[in-house]
Amino acid sequence: MTLSSPCRGYSRGFVLIALIAVLSSLAVLLWPVAKRSGVEFWVFATFHYPFYRAPVAQWNREHPERPVELSLQPLPALETRLLSALRTGAPVADMMEVERVIAAEMFIGPLDAVGFVDLTERLRAGGWLERFNEPSFSPWTSRGRIFGLPHDVHPVLLAYRADLVEAAGIDVARIETWEDFARELAPLMAERGPDGRPLRYLLNFWPAQIEQTEIFLLQAGGGFFDEHDRPALVTEVNVRVLAQLAAWCAGPSRIATDAADVTALGNRIRLEGGVVCSPMADWMSGLWRHDLPGLAGKMKLMPLPAWERGGRRTSVHGGTGLVISSNSDDVGSAFELALRLYTSPELSDAMFRETGIIGALREQWSRPVYDEPNSYFSGQAVGRLYIEQAPQVPRRSSSPYTVEARRGYCIALRQLVDWAETHHTYDRPALEQRARELLEGVQADLVRRVERNVYLREGGQR
Amino acid sequence: MRRPREYDTLARVCLHVLLVTISLFMLLPFAWMVGASLKSGQDVFASVFLPSGDGWLGVAWSRLSADNFVRLFRGAGFGRAMLYSTFYASVTAVGGTLGASLCGYALAKFSFCGRRLLTAVVLGAVLVPGPLLFAPGYQVLYRLGLMDSYAGLILPALVPAVGVFLFRQAMIHGVPDELLDAARIDGAGEVRIFFSIVMPMIRPMLGAFLLITFLGAWNNFIGPQVVLQRPEIFPLTTTLTNLRGSQYQDWGLVMAGTLVSILPMMGLFLLLQRDFIQGLTAGAVKH
Amino acid sequence: MNARRPCPRCLPWLFAAPFLAVFVLFVAWPLGQSLLLSFQQTYGPRYSTWVGVGNFAFMLHDPSFWLALRNTVVIALAALVVQTPVSLALAMLLNRPGVRGRAVFRLALFAPSLVGLVFAAMLFSMVLERRYGLLNLSLHWLLPSFDTGFAWRQELPLFSLVLASLWLHTGFYMVYFLAALQGVPHEQEESALIDGAGPWQRFRYIVWPEIRPVAGFVTLLSLVGSFQLFELPWLLLDYSAGPTDNRGLTIMVYLYQTGFQSGDLGYASAIGWVLALILMAFTWGQRRLLGDGTD
Repeated sequence: MTLSSPCRGYSRGFVLIALIAVLSSLAVLLWPVAKRSGVEFWVFATFHYPFYRAPVAQWNREHPERPVELSLQPLPALETRLLSALRTGAPVADMMEVERVIAAEMFIGPLDAVGFVDLTERLRAGGWLERFNEPSFSPWTSRGRIFGLPHDVHPVLLAYRADLVEAAGIDVARIETWEDFARELAPLMAERGPDGRPLRYLLNFWPAQIEQTEIFLLQAGGGFFDEHDRPALVTEVNVRVLAQLAAWCAGPSRIATDAADVTALGNRIRLEGGVVCSPMADWMSGLWRHDLPGLAGKMKLMPLPAWERGGRRTSVHGGTGLVISSNSDDVGSAFELALRLYTSPELSDAMFRETGIIGALREQWSRPVYDEPNSYFSGQAVGRLYIEQAPQVPRRSSSPYTVEARRGYCIALRQLVDWAETHHTYDRPALEQRARELLEGVQADLVRRVERNVYLREGGQR
Repeated sequence: MRRPREYDTLARVCLHVLLVTISLFMLLPFAWMVGASLKSGQDVFASVFLPSGDGWLGVAWSRLSADNFVRLFRGAGFGRAMLYSTFYASVTAVGGTLGASLCGYALAKFSFCGRRLLTAVVLGAVLVPGPLLFAPGYQVLYRLGLMDSYAGLILPALVPAVGVFLFRQAMIHGVPDELLDAARIDGAGEVRIFFSIVMPMIRPMLGAFLLITFLGAWNNFIGPQVVLQRPEIFPLTTTLTNLRGSQYQDWGLVMAGTLVSILPMMGLFLLLQRDFIQGLTAGAVKH
Repeated sequence: MNARRPCPRCLPWLFAAPFLAVFVLFVAWPLGQSLLLSFQQTYGPRYSTWVGVGNFAFMLHDPSFWLALRNTVVIALAALVVQTPVSLALAMLLNRPGVRGRAVFRLALFAPSLVGLVFAAMLFSMVLERRYGLLNLSLHWLLPSFDTGFAWRQELPLFSLVLASLWLHTGFYMVYFLAALQGVPHEQEESALIDGAGPWQRFRYIVWPEIRPVAGFVTLLSLVGSFQLFELPWLLLDYSAGPTDNRGLTIMVYLYQTGFQSGDLGYASAIGWVLALILMAFTWGQRRLLGDGTD
């Protein structure tokens, strides 16, 4: 048997794939991924990244022997990578900016396996615990140890379509509570479409918006855990808020619509005027300026309506902090750079102008930049409005079960809305009764889950 | 003819109308995707397929642009992701096909001590469901130091037990012993017999298995998601999901990325179509 | 003479060596690990604690697990009662005598199967979007009273998964049925027609016996596929994008959450074992009920 060609008898597709395999292997070998050296620094926020470039370059001129390499990582990738790498000991960056829920996920194991350097002593020695806004440390604190430097405060105000509100002759100064809010703004919902539904709703909120739910709950003084990070879902406040949020989404008292933040559809609804008000954290105000230029000059900010007269007029949404990996061989440098970035007045001024974010270092709150009028928000001094509320920002739990707790709370909310709709029951006592039952179920489930975790048990509670 | 001719014609027309409708239905999402990927900015939402205007067929052809594709390859690192996907899928496919056919050949055409045991092992391995090995597989990759490398993805996929079984079946039925004996008497070496006689004789199975493993690796998401950590070496699947995570509003860009990820598979299928359908069904249809 | 075959006894083992190496490293070893892990609680691969049957005891009262199992069963049932019959029906339509352009139709119907689950999820997350998604716009065009604001993925997560899966897999299963229908003897069908047998009788006594093994194989494929569904729910229901309310939780998504987000490879292995037992039961049941398609 003789063979003229080695390919004889094989289909073209087979030969092609074999060829591709050889060529692409060569290409991959010849195109090596750049090896990193020095101190690695990962940032996930697209808006932070450009501001760190100049200070990092400056740092590298001062420390040519150990330059810092800054890189931007997409958040979902960063989360997966961190979760995997810190648990397996695979290499990660020396320093990283992370979102608070991702940090909380790292606290599920033993304290010595957190994967971040414990910064408590360094912060105390430098007097930083007093100089930074105190509630801002809460997401980075687990079992009494502080693992991160807070970047922000993220107070929440209420953004409203000033053009619509003023055209209707409504005076927002008369609004102090959520009750006032629903009453005073009600005329804006009068216009109906051909299907009989309002063309416009007052509030951007929906049970599927898990982060928004938490904003309202924290504002009211509620939360998912007690001061020892034990699940505490069935409290008077939690029940009351759940019933109120459901009433906003169901039946005759409905004032809310789903125009989810940072979605293409939500932004379309905002542009079309389908929703009047949104709870808005400082960072979200920067995002709107970027994503929704069509609303420039039409928006204004006011403190959140309170849950009761004299109550808290703000809340908190999200949170970013800087952590240092336990694998880092140069914790000192990383901490020094972190402090420089988070305490530089020039940087925080520039960051505020571009992103609307208020820094966590309290002594900077008096800087004039925060009094500059903002044309997007109809000439209001947006920085000052946020800073006035900053000291009242509620604490956030760093429990690794935060994700599960708030998911449970939102499922209860959705079930409550469905229950109200199917039973046509919208009166407050009945809703609260049902809310309590639902939360008891969530609580029992969560307690079972937390008690099961041997690592939290061994590490001891705070 | 039992029935009148008109009835037959009518039935055939109905049948074809039905088939065309169903086919269009299946193809509609593709058309929509192509439309979205060619539109930029707000045009994505302003029209269902193509922006309307006063051009030919009432379409504003001038508002279509390849801008999304340009941005994809310039900014989002799609070129590199594509290379990695190609590398991962082709090496897995060629390696998996060779590994499985070699072992299948040994089981089908050699009698040796331990063959029945080996066959039983293969059958057992076929029955082990993937999800069972998911969590412990991660631990094993960690212990072997294969995390964050393509070795960690390719090595476990190198000799799929299903493949061994399918090739064994194909060779038992499709490769006559006499031919192998004749070749041996002619003095052909074993390696040469395998590559120039055995493999060409099971061509449909070869093509089908190659395409299936290629598709499997190209479309694999959970593997790269768990094993790979550096975004610099991500394949298309994880690159695209990250893109959607950060460019939530940019439907045009995401659809362009999806389109670019799908097209190579379509091309490959057209190349291997005949072998593929023969080989795919050979395993399932009674001989 | 024997230089070509230096060791005829070793040769088959040499050919089988790659399989054995991969089997030992990536099947046998993880399988053993899995057994051990299902009795442990872990935090990533480095910390583990023996908890006995704790994982299975917890699973019995874990609402998330039962929700995931229930959802997965619903998806699998939908695949069984919708996907398989639809693909068979399409194959029979396409197989009717006198169809022109059969290859083109086959290609059109098969094309979605070439789209990976990830890419299909990307596509469908936009097709099913409120207001501007293809489905809502089409429904509104057909039925002007339909509210385009309907959020399929949030309101009907399981339906969304089944729809995407139907689009994706129907053509694939159809190709199997088409091949099987080639074996149906035409003369028998003709003579049955002349004998006045109705369409159902013709299907039941002439077509079905011929395609039964393939039907069994396709059923098994779609059941196993439904039970292992991960990419579609993960991406279509926005698990990857952040917090969701979990209504569309499937068992593979729960396994992933447990093992890789919470780091408990032990509980994830226990879930894996339950899933494996279900899958093996399907394989066994399919062989009992519909015959083995592979022999």
